[in-house]
Amino acid sequence: MILMHGEIISSEMESKYLTGLYEDCIRTLARPGTVTAEKVINACDALYRRVKSGEFDALIMPVLQMSDISYERFADMARLFSKEELEYKCKMELGELTETLKSGIRRKRYPLGILFHIAAGNVDGLPAYSVIEGLLAGNINILKLPAGDNGLSVRLLWELVQCEPDLKDYIYVFDVPSADVGTLKAFARMADGIVVWGGDEAVKAAREMADVTTKIIAWGHKLSFAYVTESVTDAQLEVLARHVCTTNQVLCSSCQGIFVDTEDREVLEEIGRRFFALLQKANREMGRADMGMRGKNTIRLYTDMLEKPAGQTFFSADGVSVIVKEDNELELSYLFRNVWVKALSREQIVPVLKKHKNHLQTCGLLCKDEEREVLEDKLIRAGVVRLTDGNMSRTVAGEAHDGTYPLAEYSRIVEIG
Amino acid sequence: MLFVKAMQENCLYQYENCPEYARILDEKGFHPKDLQTSQDLERLPFIPTLYFKRHAIFSMPGERLLIKATSSGTSGKMSRMGFNAASLYRGFRMVCRVGKYHKLFSLRPSHYLIFGYEPHSSNKIVFSKTAYGFTYFAPALSRSYALKYTRDGYQVDLEGLKEKLIKYSKGKAPVRTIGFPAYTYFLLKQMKEEGIKVSLPKGSVLTLGGGWKQFYAEEVSKKAFYDLVKEILGIDQEHIFEFFGAVEHPILYTDCRCHHFHVPVYSRVIIRDVDNLQPVEAGKPGLVNLLTPMVDSVPILSIMTDDLGILHKESCGCGVTSPWLEILGRVGIKDIITCAAGAEAVLKE
Repeated sequence: MILMHGEIISSEMESKYLTGLYEDCIRTLARPGTVTAEKVINACDALYRRVKSGEFDALIMPVLQMSDISYERFADMARLFSKEELEYKCKMELGELTETLKSGIRRKRYPLGILFHIAAGNVDGLPAYSVIEGLLAGNINILKLPAGDNGLSVRLLWELVQCEPDLKDYIYVFDVPSADVGTLKAFARMADGIVVWGGDEAVKAAREMADVTTKIIAWGHKLSFAYVTESVTDAQLEVLARHVCTTNQVLCSSCQGIFVDTEDREVLEEIGRRFFALLQKANREMGRADMGMRGKNTIRLYTDMLEKPAGQTFFSADGVSVIVKEDNELELSYLFRNVWVKALSREQIVPVLKKHKNHLQTCGLLCKDEEREVLEDKLIRAGVVRLTDGNMSRTVAGEAHDGTYPLAEYSRIVEIG
Repeated sequence: MLFVKAMQENCLYQYENCPEYARILDEKGFHPKDLQTSQDLERLPFIPTLYFKRHAIFSMPGERLLIKATSSGTSGKMSRMGFNAASLYRGFRMVCRVGKYHKLFSLRPSHYLIFGYEPHSSNKIVFSKTAYGFTYFAPALSRSYALKYTRDGYQVDLEGLKEKLIKYSKGKAPVRTIGFPAYTYFLLKQMKEEGIKVSLPKGSVLTLGGGWKQFYAEEVSKKAFYDLVKEILGIDQEHIFEFFGAVEHPILYTDCRCHHFHVPVYSRVIIRDVDNLQPVEAGKPGLVNLLTPMVDSVPILSIMTDDLGILHKESCGCGVTSPWLEILGRVGIKDIITCAAGAEAVLKE
């Protein structure tokens, strides 16, 4: 399915419509802008209310299930489309520009022009959301759907145009497979900016497609972790355990493992044991993860144990696990409620984590108030861009994305005079 | 009891000839002599196929292994297996018996369409060998492959197979197809879209092997698949056979006329709980643990697959009394779309 000028068209007709796309975009750009953030916000708000009422659940549920995201978390994210939150987002991200720089010089924010979005297949990068951000900044948006998209994005964006017909020349959605490099290059050539979601491979491919002068805005894959001190309380750890179960560790902001500010193996094991008990409890209370994922991890843990790896202690039951390890490297966990625990004293934070600079995202910092400032500083110096409590994937309107404001990235500042 | 005795014999052989296997049994506190009854099979430590993917372990020196094979490696890593003459001979006799039982042998020369890899010295994937072996069930007039070996490696050529199907449907010789259900399905779907229907000569057989795993995205039910085969090729359900097996458990499972995989006499199945690995009762889903005493050269007498399945003990319309195994699919196929996983791939470089 593709979406053009507010109409849903079957994918087979794609090539026919692709030919005139650039001319269409140029015509839209040449006429005075009809799209304002206000119109986009009102349309989103109307749509948000319908999503909230459950009207689109039949389409949304399979996507959530595929990504192992709870409905609760989805509802939390959907709220970001409400008028209140979007207005706040625009205010935070676009801000107030000083109208005059010096006598006679005006300064104004304008859209980049044409954005080409290369979407990823997980909820974190819900393709429609990327387009809405592009619209808020006033851009024309060309979206390439991820493989296996179930039609949710096309449907939501179509509904958006129904709410606000002026958006129809600003949204184009295509079903082009990643292998069709020719078409993707054509999109890339048209675009002022390429917004790419996905792994480093996807980012690399986008860079290769684009002219040197094309701006690349990359929302790449990230890793997140918790950092705890010996003083961590069970209440703090419990919030973290619930976060691990809610997100199943699949999001960029999901906790993969816990670094402990210690050099003492016994302290490490004790925290591992305490966290394991709380993880089991959260797992029981929140309903277990997908059976296949549990099975996969049970086999991996059993295999690991057959190999007798040096310095590892395994705590595992009910399909969840905590592995206490000897090294201090940041790594992906087995996901789906399987957390590693490693020692990383505060002095080691910058030396060990700095090499992961652009892959670091969130750190759930669990410590005493008086320790907080010094630890925050070290984690930030290592490259972390979000510091939270145990609820690491919380979503707040107006919050930066991977250390920057998307709407600012999608616009340019023009000075006149 | 014969099965348990053969298992004990094999277990003892592995224990004495494979130090790594002996270490695992010792650590789990199990000795081959502990294998006395069929209940003891549940306590015999199993080795996950994942372990074979990480370690190449053999119970014989390399020069005694006549065939070396690797699994199809859908997740990137492959198991390395080797088979000695005695194991291969047992396998050959098994295939003959199973083939005879299912009336798969025929003297009528047939055309073979193979939805798999063309054999080539660079390809050790076990599937291409079994598919090739299958072309001896009836004398071969011709063999055509979906994955052709070219100078640039393997290339998919479904178009070529389509032309062959059309050509052979006009002749008298039966056609036999073998291969991944997914490729077979894609070709049939394409033919349907193009409005092409043929009626293959009497005696034509469609066989499937290699699992339905590629179907997860397509969500095709077996029933819909059989209907499509009938519509496009004119082959009845009774002439569709499916095989199941793995390089780590090289036992030929063939579906009965009700399309159930009855556990052959050469094999046992234990379904285990996904969380605690304890055996679960019949009818309940879990991880598929496969047992066989048929192979000496590698300690694969009890392996844990990556599959979820159910063992059915209810009676089957075909009259066979052994339980049947339903494969639900591979564990953990969802992980590809997670974003944290993508970051890890780069950290490892």
